Amino acid sequence: MSKRAVDMTFQAIYTLTDLRILLRETAPSHAFDADQKAQVTRLLENLERQVGSLKQEMLK
Amino acid sequence: MRCGNGIEARQVDELFINIDPIQAGGRLTADAMKAVVAYGDGYSVCDNCRKPNRLDYITKPPIAEFHRDVAKWLNMDAVRTVPGARRGFQAVAQTYVNKGDPVLLTSLSHYTEFLAVEEAGGIAREIPANEQKLVTPDAAAEKIEAVRKEFGRAPVLAFIDHVDYSYGNMHDVAGIAKVAHQYDIPVAYNGAYTVGILPVDGKKLGVDFVIGSGHKSMAAPAPSGILAATAEREKEVFRTTGITGDVTNRTFGIKEPEMMGCTLMGATLVGMMASFPHVKERTTRFGRELENHRIVTEALLAIEGTTCLSEYPRKHTMTRIDTRGSFDKVAETHKKRGYYLQSALEEKGITGVIPGATKVWKFNTYGTTRKQAEHVARSFLEIARENGLAVRS
Repeated sequence: MSKRAVDMTFQAIYTLTDLRILLRETAPSHAFDADQKAQVTRLLENLERQVGSLKQEMLK
Repeated sequence: MRCGNGIEARQVDELFINIDPIQAGGRLTADAMKAVVAYGDGYSVCDNCRKPNRLDYITKPPIAEFHRDVAKWLNMDAVRTVPGARRGFQAVAQTYVNKGDPVLLTSLSHYTEFLAVEEAGGIAREIPANEQKLVTPDAAAEKIEAVRKEFGRAPVLAFIDHVDYSYGNMHDVAGIAKVAHQYDIPVAYNGAYTVGILPVDGKKLGVDFVIGSGHKSMAAPAPSGILAATAEREKEVFRTTGITGDVTNRTFGIKEPEMMGCTLMGATLVGMMASFPHVKERTTRFGRELENHRIVTEALLAIEGTTCLSEYPRKHTMTRIDTRGSFDKVAETHKKRGYYLQSALEEKGITGVIPGATKVWKFNTYGTTRKQAEHVARSFLEIARENGLAVRS
């Protein structure tokens, strides 16, 4: 297993952590304003990329 | 959802606005959560511990630098991390208090200060708060004189809470410290509700020790806290070990007895460290927190029969409110009795008020966004109206 797989695992957890914080900041409705929507979009894109890398690394 | 062995995943702060009086300032920052994930293993910060083998000397992660930074930030000379403010009280009490010594507390002191004094064999003497629930320098002087009369000597130590746990009132620590020092009494500042919440300057306050709570006010996991000392007191409370084993002749280097050697060795410490830059920054915008608090407090006070038991206008975001003349009247006939308020709040996505409390209770808005504060304020008013209480516009 590569260092890259380990890094990606942490990065994905950290991206999820940023999403978690956003859920806290917008509780209880979780209604996002435009900035927050942009932030969520960016975080989810990062997460998809990180999970993609993890698949490549861990299933090869 | 469970996270293991019957432990429910806690989602309180994701699903609700949490106004619990003791939880508000301890919510982790994103960086602290990330650090906790990386350093959750037991002795995780010890990977690079080198001689002289003491926690506050470790440079990777930058624990030594953190200690220096916290001391500078509080305008004190030395800092150690401790497992909660109470362990800071304990270290100070063990250093200065012997059996039968009088120790100055206040009628609003936290119980852990009493326990620290008790464990050291001291005798508690409280400065009474006045009618406004404030502890004043005059009352301190009066009490010290009373203690001198009773014991034939002044108290050996004073614990003074800057903001008390009961009313969230702000007491004149600087004035009290000035009085105490006239009698050569060291002053331990209890900053459990201030360090990490609002600016604290130890030298300006004129105190010998500043004690803070990581999990109450520094966005850190429990149990964590800090004990800061002046250069003069550092040598006393952070004295190093002198013991030797009679069979092995072992000695223990520069370990500090009051710290029991090393203190926070993993997630607690890195959590506090990771939050620190954010905590430093947030203390500079305490005014914004007070403004959010004002929105909620004013809404509550618009409900007829509600009074604020804390000093007003508020100087802190934790407040004691009296709703015996409003929400408690509803509880007398409501089918859920006193539980209706908490239940109605939870329906509106708000938690942290003690279940069943409708008489006198506390809340803390620290860390809420403006939107969240407005939602809490609106919700209290809606619940009042829904239950037939009069609301002043």
